[in-house]
Amino acid sequence: MRLRAWLAERLPLDDVLATLRHKRVPHHEYSVWYYFGGTTLFLFAIQVGTGALLLLYYRPSAAEAYESVQFIVARVPFGWLVRSIHAWSANLMVASAFAHLFSVAFLHAYRRPRELTWMSGVLLLVLTLAFGFTGYLLPWNEVSFFATRVGTDIAATVPLVGHALVRFLRGGDDVTGATLTRLFGFHVAVLPAVATALVALHLLLVQRHGMSVPPSVERRAAADPGAVRSIPFLPHFLLRDLFAWTAVLAVLASLATFYPSELGAKADPFAPAPAGIRPEWYFLWAFETLKHVPPTVAGLNGEFVAVAAMGSGAVGALLLPLVAGRSPRSRAIVVWICAAALLFMGGMTMLALRTVTP
Amino acid sequence: MKRLVLAAFVLLAVDTRAQTPPETAFEDDVHAAAGLTCASCHKTEAAGAYAAPARTSIAPLCASCHSDAAYMRTVDPQVRVDQYLQYQTSTHGKRMAAGDARVATCSDCHGAHGVRRVRDARSPVAPANVVTTCGRCHGDPARMAAFGRQATHPAEWAASVHAAALIKRGDTSAPTCVSCHGSHGATPPGVTSVANVCAQCHLREAELFRASPKREIFDAIGQAECLVCHGNHRIESPADQWVGLEKGAVCEQCHDAAGDSGAAIRDIRQKLDTLQDATSTADARLTRAEHAGMLVEDGRLALQLAREHQVQSRALVHAFAPAPFAKTAADGVAAARRAREAGEAAMRELQLRRQGLGVATLLVLAFLATLWVKIRRLPPA
Repeated sequence: MRLRAWLAERLPLDDVLATLRHKRVPHHEYSVWYYFGGTTLFLFAIQVGTGALLLLYYRPSAAEAYESVQFIVARVPFGWLVRSIHAWSANLMVASAFAHLFSVAFLHAYRRPRELTWMSGVLLLVLTLAFGFTGYLLPWNEVSFFATRVGTDIAATVPLVGHALVRFLRGGDDVTGATLTRLFGFHVAVLPAVATALVALHLLLVQRHGMSVPPSVERRAAADPGAVRSIPFLPHFLLRDLFAWTAVLAVLASLATFYPSELGAKADPFAPAPAGIRPEWYFLWAFETLKHVPPTVAGLNGEFVAVAAMGSGAVGALLLPLVAGRSPRSRAIVVWICAAALLFMGGMTMLALRTVTP
Repeated sequence: MKRLVLAAFVLLAVDTRAQTPPETAFEDDVHAAAGLTCASCHKTEAAGAYAAPARTSIAPLCASCHSDAAYMRTVDPQVRVDQYLQYQTSTHGKRMAAGDARVATCSDCHGAHGVRRVRDARSPVAPANVVTTCGRCHGDPARMAAFGRQATHPAEWAASVHAAALIKRGDTSAPTCVSCHGSHGATPPGVTSVANVCAQCHLREAELFRASPKREIFDAIGQAECLVCHGNHRIESPADQWVGLEKGAVCEQCHDAAGDSGAAIRDIRQKLDTLQDATSTADARLTRAEHAGMLVEDGRLALQLAREHQVQSRALVHAFAPAPFAKTAADGVAAARRAREAGEAAMRELQLRRQGLGVATLLVLAFLATLWVKIRRLPPA
């Protein structure tokens, strides 16, 4: 108690606690989806923590990267656990971020005045995928090497600047040690700096505007103000958030222990690409789509058309609050488009998994 | 499969050339490329009406250029010029010189009008084709019967470990007919020289055998060293079961269970079996640990060492002495034991991790239950 008094004298602890107790969160049949934002943030914190631990031993060069990861897994106490948690947490974070994005879209939480909250969220999802892409090569194993070669090749389809873009991503004409160093720099410096700023903005906006209530709940509340409850952020919502985080932690620890992330064989740039090369599961839908696109579409390079369509989809998602109308019909169109996108991505992922599974 | 298709293609090409008109085949001949013409070999005929030279005169005709070092330097400085001298020492050459035109001469192996360099994969004497070429005569029972010889050697070779190396693995250094018998100086190696032929590649085994007490015994009873246990053309991949006194083992051909030799054979076999069991067990443990997601590099290195000792101990069988073999086999067993222990340690570590996770999961579940109770007991909002 003396410590608390000492801190309260110097920090506005009581004001913060009073604000959190005063802050209220809507509580209705869809409020379970609110927890995916907190879960994504929790997984991001785990990534930062485990990433910092891995940095103590990881060496970002073609000659030492694989061996240093091998050392981490085989020799460093609990190194296997830290690496496995980092790898699994990355996967769960992407899944959680996608769930958060689609739930926000389906519940129309992007509406005024939360346009910037949505747009910062979409950018955070893109950053999460960029974290995944840049981190994939870092163990410098066979699968990650060739998958990165294939992945960076896609950038070449962009007209005019395609080859410059590939050289920028790779640090040369091909995937080499320079690519590894470059992607490592993005993974541990550039992306975390941008992500931290965006997360801060995102949380500030969530705090500023509060949790959105779906239109159907809004209508019910308009008819009967007592029909929609709300709960205090502290302790009611925070304890539920803590419950979700603890459950995720249990799942994460189980996955890391029973399905530890494999290291595979060291990358050999001169060896032919082995069979079954594929990206992480969250890029599989795009990978599969590119496989099915014909060489030319309407006289244009088919791969370019597909990449342009996917890019347009991403830009459309970013600008969704600005282009979506306010009418119920417009909201229904958004739901159908999101459902179609989800179905397409899920279907393509299943197809890719079925193709590569022996 | 690709090699099979390639071999079929080569054979087809060789066969097709055999049916090709001489003047057409000659267009793709190494001699045409060197500037020779029909008249260079068909010296006695008028242009356009060439007859085949007599078979007994073909080798001397080829030798008129190929034994002329000064001339060969002008067209192909790297080619040897002693083929005819060697041919004259061969069984083929001797019979041909005696007027027996049924035996092989230059054109039977190299072709007449579509001759290619030996290093050309399409040449009938290229490593992948030479057994087929020799087999055209030596695999023909009717032709060999006239010489009182068997025609089974090419087929026997095709079932050998050497054929597997050449055909399945594409190892062109694997021995074919000419590796042991010679090419131009072809002759069967005798009892005393066959070990030298094998020793061209199997040097370690040959050295051990020459220093062993078996050599004098084999020489005294006129046995052809390597062949007694390994055979000649149908040389199979050796197995530990060859060492033993039971039926089918090679030692059993001469030894029985009585005396020191029987005890030594049993001892060597027992050590070979122990080493094989130890490496197999270690491999199984390491594989199980790897499948469980554990890294066992140290164990794999120890297993590799055990397998090297296993290879060495199998070679040391040729010393026919217990001491060096026993030490190497024991070293191999020790390395295999280290590999097995590494695999078992990895599995114990895995168990420990799972137990730790079990405890942690229980604590997490207890915390979740506490949270749940706390949430349920919260005052109404």
